[in-house]
Amino acid sequence: MQNIKPLRFWTPGAFVLLAVMAVGYLFGLARLITGLGPVTNLSDQYPWGIWIGIDVASGVALAAGGFTTAALINIFGRKKYHALERPALLTAWLGYTFVGVGLMFDLGRYYNIWHPAIYWQGNSVLFEVGMCVMFYITVLTVEFSPTILEGVIKRAGEKSFLGRFAQRFQKPLQILHLMTCRVLPLFIIAGVVLSFMHQSSLGSLMLIAPTKLSSLWWTPILPILFLLSAIMVGFPMVIFESIIAAKSFGHKPEMELLTPLSRFIPWLVGVYALVKIGDLILRWEQLDFYAHPSDTAALFVEIGIGILIPFVMLLQKSVRRSPFWLFIAVTSIILGVLLNRINVFIVGFHPPFGEAGYFPSIGEIAVTIGLVATIVLLYRFFAYYFPVFDQKELVVHEEECETRRRRAPVLAWMARGLAVLLMLSFVILYAVAHERGIKTSVVGPGQTVYAEAASAPDTRPDPIAIPEPLSFSAETMPKSLLIDRRQTNERINDYEPVRFMHKAHASRLDGNCSICHHRVQKEPDDRVGEELEFTDMDNRKPASCVACHQYPNEADVPVRPGLKGAYHAQCIGCHEKESSANAPTDCIGCHEKRTPNHEAFIHFAGKPEPQEITARCLECHEHVGEDILITAHWKWEAPSPNTKGYEHRTDLGKKNVINNYCIHVRSNEARCSQCHIGYGWKDDTFDFNDPTNIDCLVCHDTTGTYAKDAPNGGMPKQEVNLVQVAKNVGKTSRQTCGKCHFNGGGGPNVKHGDLEPTLLDPPDEFDVHMGRANMDCQDCHRASEHKIAGQCLAIPSSEGRVSCEQCHGDTPHNMNNSIGFHLDKHSRTVACQTCHIPQFAKKTPTKVFWDWSTAGKDLPVEKDEYGMPSYDKKKGHFRWGMFVDPCITWYGGIHTRYLLGDVVEDPGTPTLLNAPTGSLKTPEAKLYPFKCYSAVIPMDAERQVFAVPNLWMGFWKDFDWQKSLSEGMKLYGEPFSGKVGFGKADMFWAINHEVVPAKQALRCADCHQSQAVTCSRCHGQEPGFDSARLIGPRYPESKAKLKRSDFEAMGYKGDPAATGGRFHRYTLPGAK
Amino acid sequence: MGMNRRTFLKVTGATVAVSLPSRSAQADESKAPDPDHIGCLVDTTKCIGCRKCEEACNRANRLPMPDKPFDDLWVLRERRRPDATRFTVVNSYPGKPSPVQQDRDRTNIKVQCMHCLDPACVSACIVGALTKSKTGPVMYDADKCIGCRYCMVACPFEIPAYEYNSPTVPRVMKCTYCVDEQQKTGASPACAAACPMESIVFGKRSELLQLGRKRIEAEPDRYEDHIYGEKEVGGTSWLYLTGRPAEELDLPRLPEAAPPRLSESIQHGIFNYGAIPLIFYGSLAGVMWMSNRKSHKASSESDNEQ
Repeated sequence: MQNIKPLRFWTPGAFVLLAVMAVGYLFGLARLITGLGPVTNLSDQYPWGIWIGIDVASGVALAAGGFTTAALINIFGRKKYHALERPALLTAWLGYTFVGVGLMFDLGRYYNIWHPAIYWQGNSVLFEVGMCVMFYITVLTVEFSPTILEGVIKRAGEKSFLGRFAQRFQKPLQILHLMTCRVLPLFIIAGVVLSFMHQSSLGSLMLIAPTKLSSLWWTPILPILFLLSAIMVGFPMVIFESIIAAKSFGHKPEMELLTPLSRFIPWLVGVYALVKIGDLILRWEQLDFYAHPSDTAALFVEIGIGILIPFVMLLQKSVRRSPFWLFIAVTSIILGVLLNRINVFIVGFHPPFGEAGYFPSIGEIAVTIGLVATIVLLYRFFAYYFPVFDQKELVVHEEECETRRRRAPVLAWMARGLAVLLMLSFVILYAVAHERGIKTSVVGPGQTVYAEAASAPDTRPDPIAIPEPLSFSAETMPKSLLIDRRQTNERINDYEPVRFMHKAHASRLDGNCSICHHRVQKEPDDRVGEELEFTDMDNRKPASCVACHQYPNEADVPVRPGLKGAYHAQCIGCHEKESSANAPTDCIGCHEKRTPNHEAFIHFAGKPEPQEITARCLECHEHVGEDILITAHWKWEAPSPNTKGYEHRTDLGKKNVINNYCIHVRSNEARCSQCHIGYGWKDDTFDFNDPTNIDCLVCHDTTGTYAKDAPNGGMPKQEVNLVQVAKNVGKTSRQTCGKCHFNGGGGPNVKHGDLEPTLLDPPDEFDVHMGRANMDCQDCHRASEHKIAGQCLAIPSSEGRVSCEQCHGDTPHNMNNSIGFHLDKHSRTVACQTCHIPQFAKKTPTKVFWDWSTAGKDLPVEKDEYGMPSYDKKKGHFRWGMFVDPCITWYGGIHTRYLLGDVVEDPGTPTLLNAPTGSLKTPEAKLYPFKCYSAVIPMDAERQVFAVPNLWMGFWKDFDWQKSLSEGMKLYGEPFSGKVGFGKADMFWAINHEVVPAKQALRCADCHQSQAVTCSRCHGQEPGFDSARLIGPRYPESKAKLKRSDFEAMGYKGDPAATGGRFHRYTLPGAK
Repeated sequence: MGMNRRTFLKVTGATVAVSLPSRSAQADESKAPDPDHIGCLVDTTKCIGCRKCEEACNRANRLPMPDKPFDDLWVLRERRRPDATRFTVVNSYPGKPSPVQQDRDRTNIKVQCMHCLDPACVSACIVGALTKSKTGPVMYDADKCIGCRYCMVACPFEIPAYEYNSPTVPRVMKCTYCVDEQQKTGASPACAAACPMESIVFGKRSELLQLGRKRIEAEPDRYEDHIYGEKEVGGTSWLYLTGRPAEELDLPRLPEAAPPRLSESIQHGIFNYGAIPLIFYGSLAGVMWMSNRKSHKASSESDNEQ
């Protein structure tokens, strides 16, 4: 026992420890660099893992050997165990130091670890633990410092650095040693007190989470249990280390000390067991063994190996005397305590929403093992170089202290004074921190002022003057409302006001006002009221919404919502029920989003290229580029689900179909692409997969200054201030859409007939939607992912359809009167447009005929009645029309399409490039209005197919059809025989815009001209029935090819008013 | 040996004796809520799950944009929790919001920090980085924080989240009650202002409790007769009116006692003025002195272990 030093320090085992440490610190370093997230499995649900549960909580518990041994030897005077004191202190000192080191890895802001010393929070259990541990580390350092000082002093004279150091400072080191050994008793007691404090407080940590910690462990006496178990595990730890150290350093265990020491253990285990099991029995009712079966198992294992097995074992004298069995017993206790800490902090912790659970990551385990390895290696280091186990020197030190006491009393008292001062400061800190904690336990430093809550009624805007009782009649009630009151958007105004179609809603609700306006009170106290229909509005009036719903939660009726809540509750209630009937339930179904100001996002030094602007747009609108690359507006081709025979094609569109205006895009790209939403489409080389070629500004310009350069592949004009335009982007509008769509065919209204620049700001009678209701294109042509709904009959591509019914419903006329009844019946057969767009091209002439065959000659140019030229050398003869009567024919939603290469049967009779399909016998077909447009266009006379001319760089320069067609067809990729011919080609253009107000729609007699039909025969007796206003013809006889009154051409036997419609056959009295 | 045991039992007894009675004594009146204490009343029977509150919160607190946009309503069906990038989430649960709403088949509920009257996180915080304002909000000062995450352990609603992926300046993230933004303007939190259905009502807590009771009174079939947050863990600033049992909407069932009352009363009971540690210190010193004298007298004596 005299010389128990190992022969050498660097054994293979030491190297293994070093390797384990290296791995651990590597992970620790990774944690410091990357943060906790990547290295640990910690989550918002499980904020504490093994770094707290094992490194800190268990570390503190297992370092309890320090204070228990110190108390036993120095306070209770069992001096014979002296040899065990220094190893125990070393373990405690290293253990606590590495609790601190471990904490540095776990704390999110480890560099703030000193904050508790300044920001005292006396209410926090953790504050108590933290401060205690900090002080206790100081105490342990003092307690262990004699060992280190002796180790240094002893080396005086050796030829090492330490030896020279000790030689040089021999005197001060000895004084320091003297001082420490004089104050040692004070610190030993302080160490015990501090240990009692923080060992128990460590248990209090989880008291604050009674609903999260399993009932198996959560008990108000957790602090007592933690304290008792720490005391219990102290001696076992000393025995455990002593046996291991003996084994490691190759000598016999000091059984003459360990056996008597182990006699205390069953008592301590017994006390802990009594309290622990007693607590479980007292709380038996609250224990839930079934909530988490793993908890129950863990508890039984903890009690079994931590209490029962060692207790029974250590009662046996034979066990206490056998190094092996004693080792097993104390290990069992240690494992039990370790498991208890893990159970309390990890296993038993069940956050309410922590479904994923927690298991330590490799990084967490590596760091923990690395720290343990460090402690073991340092223990070995101190044991090797310092007098930890050397009993002989210990005795010398004892005597030295005794002898010097009398020699230097002043120094000793000074040291004592310092120690007492230190402890007093600790006590004062405690007193102040706790006092402050009690005083300020709820209220923080600041008091937040909430003006509204403090003085709610004062900050409200003035109530809106309640409008006069509504004076509407069924006739004059508002058709649409703009919901834009201050109450609805006083706080958050991300959306445009809602355009509420009041009459459309009313008619859909069968004219029942009560559904929205509540039942009408008959007398002041009437709580039921009665229903109100708008046919009855001459007698009673519904209330306006804002009359009652001024503010939410008013004192008189707290359940009544404010205006915003009332609108939403009322609308969404129905819309959710009626979601099949096109009633939107998402926000943007009713509200249009406001575009935020983009000024701050656009910064360019100098004049940017257009593509740079797009790249900037795409930085934020990341997915929009990909969306647009597959749209019809970008590719000029799209799915063609409504084109007969090509329903499953996705590659048809403007790019590859021909029309009978300028025939085809091919060879004319540079010009045509001034209406392409891209930059630089001049020829084949254009990259349709590069999103930076997208022209965002042409559609989203709000300044009105953006314009494309004509034959330049869609590049903007040089004078456009792109940055200014980009800063002011916004929603699309009639201006931006109209830039192309109002000028189809190269000029205003040339192509469509119902789309012309007048629509930019039309009079009410010209177009009710864009005039009176001031709607923008996208209000009907809804866009989704930049695919814009709408089917132009002239091209096959479609990205969704628009119909009048999507807003107005199938029975828009139902006014609960007989006229409405007849009109709604019409809606099954006659499209809305047919009656409500009686004529088109009301302001700007539209082209109705074009003869290409006369082009290239020097013929006289005459102006027609509309002031339009009838001839152009480049183009041939035209005819123009204004106030054109549409052709009326059946259309069931499917149309045909001529594709280039299809054989023309007879050039003399018009070939239909597109045509609506449907007939009287097609139930889904209705009678729709169209612009019938005829032309004579060039063709390959031998192959009997229409041909594509090269116009821009060909025919319009040299007027040579032969050359132009062969170039054009070559570019298109079709053979050309060389034989030029011309053939008739007709197109149908659907008429959907220029909807007139209802009062100017067709009347009965505009179509039903049969003298046999007189409405007044039945309706004449009705009060208020004005036959002249409702029935008599408004428009002159149609001059169209397919007249609205030509019922035989539609397939009827005669006027259906007389002979019966296609769904109901009935005969009016007097008809044949 | 005997001395050891006796002292030990004495201390244990003292600990229990001091801690238990002080528990009730600590519930003093100074902790009653301020008359101007603010709150929010959430009516889950009104919520339509539009996520406007989430969007407004995101904007008001300058949080990062989520992967899925705020108009994606399918995410409601996940069981989301507030985290470091979102202070509030709306979750949707199958079933009618209330027995009277036959045509609705999902119940939506907004989750955020409840701003407890006696917050466990504030009591737990080791440095006082979390504080409770007298008028309501539980506020966080990142500069004080050391990142121990004890607040997250303590919170019974599992609200505080952590920026685990920030290596240098991680923060505890939770609803701020829009204090920074609103202190100047004095309006309600962004989420309450954004709610189109007025399902979030902001006001004084006392008035909101009255409002809630009036609503229950007016429509007893629609609401459960319980304002969640009125008494839970000592009361919370955010109150919930539900049309079905609160547990079904993942509002945890919690005791009425505030957790800090137990832990704080034990702490203050034992450690206030350092009195008990000092007494303990003194008695240990006495024992030491006595045993030293004894060992001096009979220094040759040894223990009788066989």
